[in-house]
Amino acid sequence: MKAKRSIAAFVFTALAMTLSQAQEIKVPLRFDFYYSYDQVTEALKALNTAYPGLTTLEQVGKSEEGRIIWALTINNPKTGAPLTKPGIYADGNIHGNEIQAGEVCLYLANRLLTNYGKLKEITEVVDRNAFYIIPVVNVDGRVHFFSDGNTPSSNRGLRIPLDDDRDGLFDEDGPDDLDGDGNITAMRMRDTLGTMKSDPEDPRLMVPVKPGEKGEWTTLGQEGIDNDGDGRINEDSEGYVDGNRNWAYNWSPPYAQNGAGMYPFQGTGIRAIAEWMMARPNIIMVFAFHNTGGMYLRGPSFKSAGELPQGDISVYNYLGQKIEKIVPGYKYLISWKDLYTTYGDFTDFTNNLLGSYSFVGELFQVETETFDGTMMRKEAERSMFGASPEADRQRLQFNDHVTQGELYKDWKPYKHPVYGDIELGGWVKMSSRLPHPFMLQDLVHRNASAVIFAAGNTPDVEMDVFEVKKIEGDLWRIRVRLVNDGAMPSVTFQTIKNKLYPQDILSVSGASASVVSGGRISDLYNGLVDYKEYKPSVQFCQVPGFGKVDYQFLVSGKGSVEIKFESRKAGSIVKTVKLSDK
Amino acid sequence: MRSLVLFIGAGSFFSLPASGIEKYSDPATVNKKIEQISQGSAGLVRVHKLAVTPGGTDMLMMEIGKAGSTVPAVMVAANMSGTAPLSTEAALSLASRIAADAKLSSAVTWYIIPMGNPDACGRYFLKPLYMDSGNAKGYNDDNDDRSDEDGYNDLDGNGIITQMRVKAHDGTWIPVAGDQRLMRRAEAVKGEKGIYKLYTGGVDDDGDGQYNEDSPGGTNVNINFPHLFRSFDRRSGLYPGSSPEANALLKFAFAHPEIAMVITFSNTNFLIAPPQGGRKGAADMDNIKIPEDMAGAMGFDASRTYTMAEIMEAVQPMLPPGMTVDEGMIASFLGLGAVVNPMQEDLAYYNEISSEYKEYLKKKGVTDERFDPAQPEDGSFELWAYYHLGLPVFSMDLWALPKPKEEKKDASGITIESLEKMTSDEFLALGEDKIKAFLKERGAPAQYSATMVMGMVKSGQVKPAQMAAMMKQMPAPAADEKKGDPKELAQLAFSDKWLEGKGFVPWKTYSHPTLGEVEIGGFVPFTDNTPPAAMADSLLDLQLPYVFELVKKLPSLKIAEARVTEKGGGVYQIEAWITNEGYLPFPTAMGKRNKIPAPAVLTLEGAGVELLSGKKRTPVNDLGGKKSSKYVWLVRSAGKSSVSLKLESKQAGTDSKQINIGG
Repeated sequence: MKAKRSIAAFVFTALAMTLSQAQEIKVPLRFDFYYSYDQVTEALKALNTAYPGLTTLEQVGKSEEGRIIWALTINNPKTGAPLTKPGIYADGNIHGNEIQAGEVCLYLANRLLTNYGKLKEITEVVDRNAFYIIPVVNVDGRVHFFSDGNTPSSNRGLRIPLDDDRDGLFDEDGPDDLDGDGNITAMRMRDTLGTMKSDPEDPRLMVPVKPGEKGEWTTLGQEGIDNDGDGRINEDSEGYVDGNRNWAYNWSPPYAQNGAGMYPFQGTGIRAIAEWMMARPNIIMVFAFHNTGGMYLRGPSFKSAGELPQGDISVYNYLGQKIEKIVPGYKYLISWKDLYTTYGDFTDFTNNLLGSYSFVGELFQVETETFDGTMMRKEAERSMFGASPEADRQRLQFNDHVTQGELYKDWKPYKHPVYGDIELGGWVKMSSRLPHPFMLQDLVHRNASAVIFAAGNTPDVEMDVFEVKKIEGDLWRIRVRLVNDGAMPSVTFQTIKNKLYPQDILSVSGASASVVSGGRISDLYNGLVDYKEYKPSVQFCQVPGFGKVDYQFLVSGKGSVEIKFESRKAGSIVKTVKLSDK
Repeated sequence: MRSLVLFIGAGSFFSLPASGIEKYSDPATVNKKIEQISQGSAGLVRVHKLAVTPGGTDMLMMEIGKAGSTVPAVMVAANMSGTAPLSTEAALSLASRIAADAKLSSAVTWYIIPMGNPDACGRYFLKPLYMDSGNAKGYNDDNDDRSDEDGYNDLDGNGIITQMRVKAHDGTWIPVAGDQRLMRRAEAVKGEKGIYKLYTGGVDDDGDGQYNEDSPGGTNVNINFPHLFRSFDRRSGLYPGSSPEANALLKFAFAHPEIAMVITFSNTNFLIAPPQGGRKGAADMDNIKIPEDMAGAMGFDASRTYTMAEIMEAVQPMLPPGMTVDEGMIASFLGLGAVVNPMQEDLAYYNEISSEYKEYLKKKGVTDERFDPAQPEDGSFELWAYYHLGLPVFSMDLWALPKPKEEKKDASGITIESLEKMTSDEFLALGEDKIKAFLKERGAPAQYSATMVMGMVKSGQVKPAQMAAMMKQMPAPAADEKKGDPKELAQLAFSDKWLEGKGFVPWKTYSHPTLGEVEIGGFVPFTDNTPPAAMADSLLDLQLPYVFELVKKLPSLKIAEARVTEKGGGVYQIEAWITNEGYLPFPTAMGKRNKIPAPAVLTLEGAGVELLSGKKRTPVNDLGGKKSSKYVWLVRSAGKSSVSLKLESKQAGTDSKQINIGG
């Protein structure tokens, strides 16, 4: 045991060194370590420098503490400006501790850029779409997660102080990294009247005493002291405004939604990202990466929203069911129903106010921390309320023999100013919700592949003017077909339901021609057309996913006639036909 | 209960004032007046630019009070919808009154915003005249290929947008029998067929078959707030706080926790009609059901209900050590949602203050009845201020149409039966007024005026008995609803009495390019909520002083008494009574629920004093109006020492006491 402890101590020092040591950032990027915020910045600059023709690096805005939020746009200008193509947006790390989400975004950019022109699939999605990538939303959070003592779950929120204990002081008594190892672990003290005892199977763990049994331990919460001398320990930690409850769709105040912030878009960085996205109305697909649990969640995130339109559900099902296979073990779920209700979250905003299909990717399944890397534990053991003792025993085995003790700190004595002789120990911050770096490559590749798969299914609309026929005199019949090869329609059904913005426009015009009537063809063979009574030259349409829509125009006149399809999400197509007998 | 005595008829209001408001101020004038008030105030009034509107106008706020003062503040926001010019005058007038009397800003600082929606405010001063609460941000109302492309058109060139009525097969409107100027919906079940279609005045500018469906105007600032925000509504904005005006107010309010009361001048009046409840969707904190999937995992019974306290008690042990459960955590986890109805305890205060205000008006000699004010709109500033800031919020609409005198009072007293028995002379002796009233009651067509009928009787053309027989043949007299909308009747009556009839444009035929023969006419916009400017001074003199009465009701915390008892061995018990000397509770019940008003903090400090029990900083989370609460500490002191007790609240004042221990 002793030997193992000293190895663990050594490995810890080594891990701390890896974290703080400057890595050399080169393209292609490496994914065997976690990037600090500065390294993320450096990596984005490196990608931008290596691919100046395909990328643009922008400052979206600044955080509460003044750090820059970066966005990398990947677009091939030879195939058009970004706004003329479907937009795919991916971000991560809106929760400060959920750092691997940033690596997924970096990997996505790296994968697309380093394989452009090499792999047909990647070349096609890059040529056909604009990719908008914000690897780190909560930039302050990422910095503090690396630099401060943390648990795997702490430091989620934005740096907006809140008086949790209502004593007029803000964030004055959070946990303290007593042993200075960069982690907030647990405190316990020996106590024969305590309610816990050492687990007979692994003494590092504790289990509750049974009635009549003698106790061994009393648990004392997270590492910390009484900073403000009010007789309580760790009762007013940093924040809490949750960046993912501060969005302005179905926002609810903090007493109804923990972490909501005082008003929508109180977060300066959150507001900046919202405005940046609104200026890119071509975004039709959104991925927001988080940890943890292995899930791809779609909206709605609250029950009273009702179900999404069936047409949108079909799109989500098509994508979600495929993604479940691309990322084994991950479940495609509905946010409010399969997880819990949230108000003011990001993807409800993008789905409803940006008109985008939106997924939350909850990265990493702690259940894969087994000797063979597969999900060994039973579903029943997955619980919202902590791991079972058996799961913890297994994870400790994994920690001991697969990560050589990197993930867990053995208990060690500490002299506490209030409690006296206590012990500190437990899971380190880089555990539990984050894969060990050796598993990171697999995680980032598969999840980035999910984004690339979706990018292959953005609306891909072609226009075919399949008939220009003279009826009599100068009256002509023009028939137009719009075909979509992607799974996503050119306008989401939710957008149409909400009347968020006008549908796509199919218009016909000519200098010496006027549209007498026009409408959607409901039955091509029987010549049935839903005529639009007013302004027949302008038709509002949606091109369904994996489908087509036909229109007919009766045009009076001569010369050339321009037929134009204009879509926010699917670009524009213009074709010209001649009304001529020849 | 709700027919209230107000404002009109108490003679003095309508006598023209000697000085003061002669016309309503347009946005440029308002902002000039704000600067003037500030310049004349020797530093008492400071002007802040809160936002620049999409139309390019500055949205200004006056801060009135001694610079650097730490007293609580009252926020007054006017004309948030931009459709009530009188409310802007009220805010300017209030500011002038406060600026002229330093005593009025010694106990509170004032934040006064005379134009909450400057772009919409400006519309009242433009031609053609129409009412629209949207700011100048473009909005594609009809979701077509263009924005703001089909607004109203002043077809008859009178500078006023009224209505168009046009005879149509699918018409649903018919003229009101009593007054052919007014229109009402035909009731098919009563065998009525509609004659007219009604449009607002204009042409189909964009040729889409609709009239004036996309007039310029974007977001109504007043409904761009996050309580009960209406998504995808025409004037509500894309999301709460999407307008620079509303966003500025959201930011300002939360950056100023000293704001203890909010007053709005608008179209609502909480002093007359307190905010209403009855909305669905409110979670009952005493009867919470736990969804089955969660209940299983957490050990709850899904078939019964729990109180919030029970759930909190049960959840606490499930949380990781160091984490304390609170209501917000449970409410968000279970998705219970926000409060949507006013808290009962707060309503009790609203009702009491409302009675007091009505008494106040009565004493000022206001006796006539007025129409009830509008209820606040979903997403409105008023609702947000109450539900999200948790503050006492009062609103005043300052003027409403007077209710015409009850018909009964000047009823003719004539029936068909009595008419049958009358001689011609008896009939003529009734006099013109009674005959006119009788004809109106019977719904006689307008061409049968009293004078004409009297002439016919006088000349022997017709006898009363014949008239009665004719009337029996006519359809039964119009039921009440057939007389037309009571508010429109009142508006017409006001126009006739005070505006020389200019509040209504008589129907006039017009040849419309697409609708053909139409008639243009109807009410002049703003004549239902805006009295002639000449009435403004008297209305404000009457009502604005009550604002100072409201402010006197603010909670005010004091250390009423501090006492020391020696327990022996150098141990002392310190006891302090904290009293809320104000009328209103600290905070409101809603504030208690949403925990937004910061607690008062009671600090105990003393050199050489060891705290044995009690806290150095004790939050005073709530204290009802006129209520007291006791706080106790146990301290040890070796010798003589002095302990200071300090009470600090941004919203309810500060106080301190020095206590001597030992010796």
